[in-house]
Amino acid sequence: MRNYIIKRLFYSVIIAWGILTVTFVLLRIGPTSPVDRYILNIAAKGQNVESVKQAIEARYGLDKPLIEQYFTYLGNLLQGNWGWSFSTSMPVLELIGSHWIYSFQLILLATIFAIVLGISIGMLSAVKQNTKFDYAASIFSFIGISIPGFWLGLMLILVFAVQLGIFKTYYDTNYPIWSLENLKQLILPVMALGIGELAGYVRYTRSAMLDNLRKEFVTTARAKGLSERTVIGKHVFRNAILPLVTIIMFDLGSIVFGGAYLTEIVFGIPGLGQVSFNAIFANDYAVVVAITLIGTFLVLLLNLGTDVVYTYLDPRIRYD
Amino acid sequence: MTSKSISVLRKIAGPFYVNRRLLGYYWERLQKNKLSIAGLGFILFLAIVGIFGPLFTQDPTKADLEVPNMPPPGFTRQESIYNIKTNDFTNRTIEGGLTHPLGTDSKGRDMLAMLVSGARISLFVGLLATGIAVFLGTFIGVLSAYLGGWVDNALMRFTDIMMTFPFFLLLVLIVFIFGSSLAIIVLVIGLTGWTGAARLIRSEALSLRTRDFITASKALGASDTRIMFNHLIPNVISLVIVMASLSIPGVIMAEAALSFIGLGDPTSTSWGTILNAGQHSLETAWWVAVEPGIMLFLTVLAFNFFGDGLRDAFDPKASI
Amino acid sequence: MNSEALLEVKNLKTWFFTRRGIVKAVNGVDFALRRGECLCLVGESGCGKSVTALSLLRLFDSPPGKIVEGEIIYQGIDLARCPIGHLRQIRGKDIAMVFQNAQSALNPIFTIGDQIIEQINTHLDLNREQALEKARMLLDKMRIPEVDRALTQYPHQMSGGMKQRAMIAMSLSCDPCILIADEPTTAVDVTIRAQIMNILQELKRNRDMSIIFITHDLSLVREIGDRAAVIYGGRIVEIAPVERILNKPAHPYTRGLISCLPDVSSESKRLPSIEGNTPNPMDMPSGCPFHPRCNRVMDVCRSVLPELMNILDVHAVACHLHPNLGK
Repeated sequence: MRNYIIKRLFYSVIIAWGILTVTFVLLRIGPTSPVDRYILNIAAKGQNVESVKQAIEARYGLDKPLIEQYFTYLGNLLQGNWGWSFSTSMPVLELIGSHWIYSFQLILLATIFAIVLGISIGMLSAVKQNTKFDYAASIFSFIGISIPGFWLGLMLILVFAVQLGIFKTYYDTNYPIWSLENLKQLILPVMALGIGELAGYVRYTRSAMLDNLRKEFVTTARAKGLSERTVIGKHVFRNAILPLVTIIMFDLGSIVFGGAYLTEIVFGIPGLGQVSFNAIFANDYAVVVAITLIGTFLVLLLNLGTDVVYTYLDPRIRYD
Repeated sequence: MTSKSISVLRKIAGPFYVNRRLLGYYWERLQKNKLSIAGLGFILFLAIVGIFGPLFTQDPTKADLEVPNMPPPGFTRQESIYNIKTNDFTNRTIEGGLTHPLGTDSKGRDMLAMLVSGARISLFVGLLATGIAVFLGTFIGVLSAYLGGWVDNALMRFTDIMMTFPFFLLLVLIVFIFGSSLAIIVLVIGLTGWTGAARLIRSEALSLRTRDFITASKALGASDTRIMFNHLIPNVISLVIVMASLSIPGVIMAEAALSFIGLGDPTSTSWGTILNAGQHSLETAWWVAVEPGIMLFLTVLAFNFFGDGLRDAFDPKASI
Repeated sequence: MNSEALLEVKNLKTWFFTRRGIVKAVNGVDFALRRGECLCLVGESGCGKSVTALSLLRLFDSPPGKIVEGEIIYQGIDLARCPIGHLRQIRGKDIAMVFQNAQSALNPIFTIGDQIIEQINTHLDLNREQALEKARMLLDKMRIPEVDRALTQYPHQMSGGMKQRAMIAMSLSCDPCILIADEPTTAVDVTIRAQIMNILQELKRNRDMSIIFITHDLSLVREIGDRAAVIYGGRIVEIAPVERILNKPAHPYTRGLISCLPDVSSESKRLPSIEGNTPNPMDMPSGCPFHPRCNRVMDVCRSVLPELMNILDVHAVACHLHPNLGK
């Protein structure tokens, strides 16, 4: 087991490095330069654009061959220096440090929302198969997986903020993170981000529960005289939840890099998605590479975590 | 197309090409699922609208500043106009008219025309990119399963890495750097989206490989390519079709999301582009954000229903 | 019928209401189980013997299954109708069950120990330590080596025979007075079959426990049974002590089954078999369900369903060949 974890960690580092390289190269061979924004200001002041640009690029080593820049960047990274953000004029680490919490709270709340509600509705739906509740849940889950999250976000804003005026149309960073107001203004974003996942979990839970309800060990459990609550809540559920763990972890990856990104843009939440979005347009490569790297590594660690948790949930799985 | 590639195609489509009865059987099973048929109906409707619609609608790019933000017929919009001579505001009510049956956006462009153009783009991107992805996925999956050994190992590791790569971020990066054109969007989605298909088809082909009829044809001296094209691919084709129909919605949503954040092809009008504009006029002209979203939602729903029905129709174990 | 009867089943009918029609899996079964005896339910697959067993504890899938008629009297209570809460106190405690395939009947993600202790805790008022001790003792009785290790093992870590023995141990954990064993030896190989049969025989001798043993294998009936009931088309067609039924079978179907037993001494090259297939439970033949396959079929068999009647005190048969002697 320990060997397996070490192997996987090593593997994760390799993948993260590969992704870092691709991101770095893509951004540095792009048509724009990170210093373009400076240049615009200078051009407005009537100075010689080219000479200033060259001076700045030389100062930051941007005139060197790409391969050399790459190794300089990699070397700095290994020493804990994440680079400088040109577009915001601050160290990348500081930029990330002041924005990560906005993404984190959104993703955490949306995931909890989706998991708790999704699994509960899915279980109930399976137990009450072919009842009105089951049909309603099925329709809801079909709608949920088909509705684009960012559009759902827009519609929630339209109805609850613009028309009804219950919420503000934009995320307000003046509220402290640990305040009720902040929680309230996260309700719409969490729904926009979570409903698609929730709907997916309803479907997976329902079908996994139904699959396992047909298994023979369910009859055994009933023959033992166990209550229906134990039979379903313990024997069936613990078996049904297994594939769900993988699916949830897989979804987290797509939330981190897709859904959360769009949700932050729709609601104007200044999280890392928003930051890296702005950074891409400013060609602020150090920021983009850093955020991508952190995100990728988190997803890889989560995957590894899932696999480890899985060995406890499913004794049949052993990694050697 | 060369005669060789035609014969390959014929072999891939083998079971359906030769066996009309089988096709009829699947069609019969599919028909029993009403939602699936409704989904298929909507997709066909959308295809016809996308192909022939632009002949009948106005020019979706033609701005008409005489009628900005005109609501659909039956709805009204209040507008305050500052009168510079009297120095006060006059309120004006703008009513929708039949010239623009779905209203106009802030530049006075006809919503109906834009939605029709969007249908064309969505289907084009959805079908083509999925086609590329599924073709690649099938090829890699079958190759991996059939050749096994180090080829399999290398291909699957590569798939793992591709799966970990933050796909949407990659899309944003590439489109930002190489410019947004439909061709690039289609290519990027197609070239990155094959991983799921490859894995699924590999595992299906692996289980097929051990079946007796493959062993039998090996014993009869069939070559590797012959086994691959005559036995493996025809047997995974139903899986491929289901995979394709279920991955189209994701592709359509990805294109819409990309256009929504302002990275769509500027020369064409897609639903995402309209949503991008609609986002900023939620307060004045809700229909600009509502209408393309509904189309997007219905399209994705239709593909989900259809794909679900297909999966059940192809699944010999599913009772319909 | 019998004052010693521990469990009495009267005219039991369990039907399954499926989309394609009504499956009359059990269609009027009567028998009484006496204290300490082993009653075998014998028949081909699909004859309704397993559903009969499941019906005793209402363990069939419902819906679509339903007991439409009949009584299952245990300690004066009708198990076919009593509230489910009451039935749950009997399941696993008074009447326990052993299933055909331990591989799928045990929950794959709990240890054997957990699964046994779960049943003990459901019915008996023991603390964790006592329950564990009891589980250890049960496994030991089943001659499972390294009991402590076995307790912490998951089903997939055990061999087929061990799993089956562990399941028997589990079913015995609350000292039931009736054990229903549904083809407990079908899924295991011959050596393990012998072990399991030994265990069951011992149980019968030492525990004074009643066993309902379900099988399609007449040689096992000879080994363990006191009485045997032959089931065909969801009904009992013949019931008698094992010796009697094996030596003097009265029903043509029973005779057919017995003649199918491979006889090593026989010179014949082909094994005899009964012509035809088991009847479709959705579309039973009229009259006697066996008549299309019967080699002594008479006109009356095609229209009149024969009742189960005693031809001796201990021997009852449902066949028109045997005019009612009891009246």
